Amino acid sequence: MFAQLTDWYPVLLSVRVAVIATVVVTCLGLPVSRLLARGEFFGKDVLEAVITLPLVLPPSVVGYGLLILIGKNGLLGKMLAELGVTLIFTWWAAVIASTVVAFPLMYQSAKAAFKSVDINFEKAARTLGASELRIFFTITLPLAWPGILAGLVLTFARALGEFGATLMVAGNIPGQTQTIPLAIYFAVGAGKNEMARTLVAVITVFSFIVIYWVNRWAKKHQN
Amino acid sequence: MLEVRISKKLWHFNLELEVKIDNQILVLWGPSGAGKTTTLHCLAGLLKPSDGFIKLNAQVLFSSDEKIDVPTRLRNVGYLFQNYALFPHMTVRQNVLYGLRGKRRAGTSGVDAVELLNSFGVGHLIERYPGQLSGGERQRVALARALVVQPQLLLLDEPFSALDKSTRESLRQEVKKLHRQWKIPFVLVSHDEEDAQFLGDLIVSLENGRFRGDSLQAVSVQ
Amino acid sequence: MKKIFVFLTLMLFVVGAVAGCGGAKEKVELTVSAAASLQDVTGELKEIYEKQHSGVTITYNLASSGALQQQIEQGAPADLFISAGKSQMDALAGKGLIVDSSRKDLLGNELVLVAGKDSALTGFEGLTDASVKRISTGDPDTVPAGQYAKETLTSLKLWDQLQPKMVPAKDVRQVLTYVETGDVEAGLVYRTDAAISKDVKIVAAAPAGSNKPIVYPMAVIKSTKNQKEAEAFAAFLQSDDAVKVFEKYGFKVLK
Repeated sequence: MFAQLTDWYPVLLSVRVAVIATVVVTCLGLPVSRLLARGEFFGKDVLEAVITLPLVLPPSVVGYGLLILIGKNGLLGKMLAELGVTLIFTWWAAVIASTVVAFPLMYQSAKAAFKSVDINFEKAARTLGASELRIFFTITLPLAWPGILAGLVLTFARALGEFGATLMVAGNIPGQTQTIPLAIYFAVGAGKNEMARTLVAVITVFSFIVIYWVNRWAKKHQN
Repeated sequence: MLEVRISKKLWHFNLELEVKIDNQILVLWGPSGAGKTTTLHCLAGLLKPSDGFIKLNAQVLFSSDEKIDVPTRLRNVGYLFQNYALFPHMTVRQNVLYGLRGKRRAGTSGVDAVELLNSFGVGHLIERYPGQLSGGERQRVALARALVVQPQLLLLDEPFSALDKSTRESLRQEVKKLHRQWKIPFVLVSHDEEDAQFLGDLIVSLENGRFRGDSLQAVSVQ
Repeated sequence: MKKIFVFLTLMLFVVGAVAGCGGAKEKVELTVSAAASLQDVTGELKEIYEKQHSGVTITYNLASSGALQQQIEQGAPADLFISAGKSQMDALAGKGLIVDSSRKDLLGNELVLVAGKDSALTGFEGLTDASVKRISTGDPDTVPAGQYAKETLTSLKLWDQLQPKMVPAKDVRQVLTYVETGDVEAGLVYRTDAAISKDVKIVAAAPAGSNKPIVYPMAVIKSTKNQKEAEAFAAFLQSDDAVKVFEKYGFKVLK
């Protein structure tokens, strides 16, 4: 079972990857969804379709696409190689994979949340002299918060469970890129059922605790 | 002194307004959909007129010829929204103080927020949330919020429509009194004839020109 | 009026979808769980067989042999199992899940070292070179090709030394993809896989005897509901017609 310390590696790695991916998705996703919630510009629908794409494509397809992009011969991969950076087969690739597949989830939650904020509040704030940035942080974001929190939970859960794309670009290298879902898959394939079951239990309990605690905190915060 | 000559292309008709008022109450009177809120939005900078200019005291807020369009937050124009738009997640205190943050407001021989609220009779509600106030109380808090930053112009969008008759009448009196105190132009939008008659130093009636492309007729009363 | 039209169209779709399943009771659907390395050859065989036997549809379930074995152990419905390794079939036999009399060694294959078309690699010894940064094989615990690769590299005394460069893949196809896109400098796959890909070249074959003989055992699953048809298809796979197709793709046919 979890006899050695190294057996805990997938758990620590998965949590690390999921947390970082969630942070990245939030920092990128909130401005983007805020922009698309209110703005009207040329190409908006195309952009939205592209953003939502990873949601409908199978993760392995997303993984292959990422492989072509950041792989050694990929458009981005080549540029990064010049700077001495290799992403493929590192846990950063796992972060990228999780970020890409989870992004549309945050985007949709946040966009709906922002749209639900009465635009008159933002207008009023403007007449009171507030800059757009101040309005975003003091009015829009706090009022959209419940929806965004839901997006955060979804993002974290999706990132934690990411398999198909991660397998492609990060690979299943034990001790380096083997996240919990990968570890479970290969444990099952190798007949190591006890290890598989333990990992499944760990990830289920962990996810449950996170979701439960976040929802409790959100409810308290509401009042 | 507010000088306005603007036109704006709307759905079915062209909105045109030409008016010049001193420190008076201008009432824009007409049925819904005639473009009254659009006019207020243009004055506040929330919408852009197709053509024309807006001049407030010495400052040009908008000019299509000179390509000037001062952003809303720099116009120093107060706005009382139709449903008051009090920030629901902030207390009355935080709402009223919201506009005072920022160097422009601080340091000026400012109006004290608490005093202002007291003078409106809602000072005791300062720690409450908007959801806990009545319609009339909310309106007064919204007024305080708009005035505490000492705007040069106050816009009021149907300020009495959500209130019952008696509250309506007493608030009407208060608005008139307020205007005499503050000595800045007020532009008030209403579909109610009594409001217009009672408050308007100058009344402009918007004809329902949705399909006829009418422009406005300035009618001076008294 | 429009609502009725939309409703009718939807109903048409639903009926069509439902009719697609179930279908005529006479058509038999055979599920064949086959190792990933058989992906391309199985397509052609299916066409030939279905033309000759109009009452049978073949459905393939392609994955690594380890994954397939797990599925069958957990009760997944399969009629025929073709594994790329002995141990997976042995495991099922040990649990009494196959029709023992139907078990046959169907095919043989060879393990080869592949690299990108422009690679300067000349043989297994070159793998220790610094220019080879990453090597991929199937995961030795779940993929037979990976097990054979481990055997070969161990017999060449390279296995431990190459560990830091290793990227275990979930099946041979993934290994190929990595080599094709240049993300690994070398990979170990079956000769039949290398033949399919246009973007890789075979650098060397695994030395004879460096790995256990690569054998593809085939057997009918005991829980099958279509034993006769499964056995008929298995017989077909050993027929001359099938042999021709297998050899075309580079497999060795065992008799």
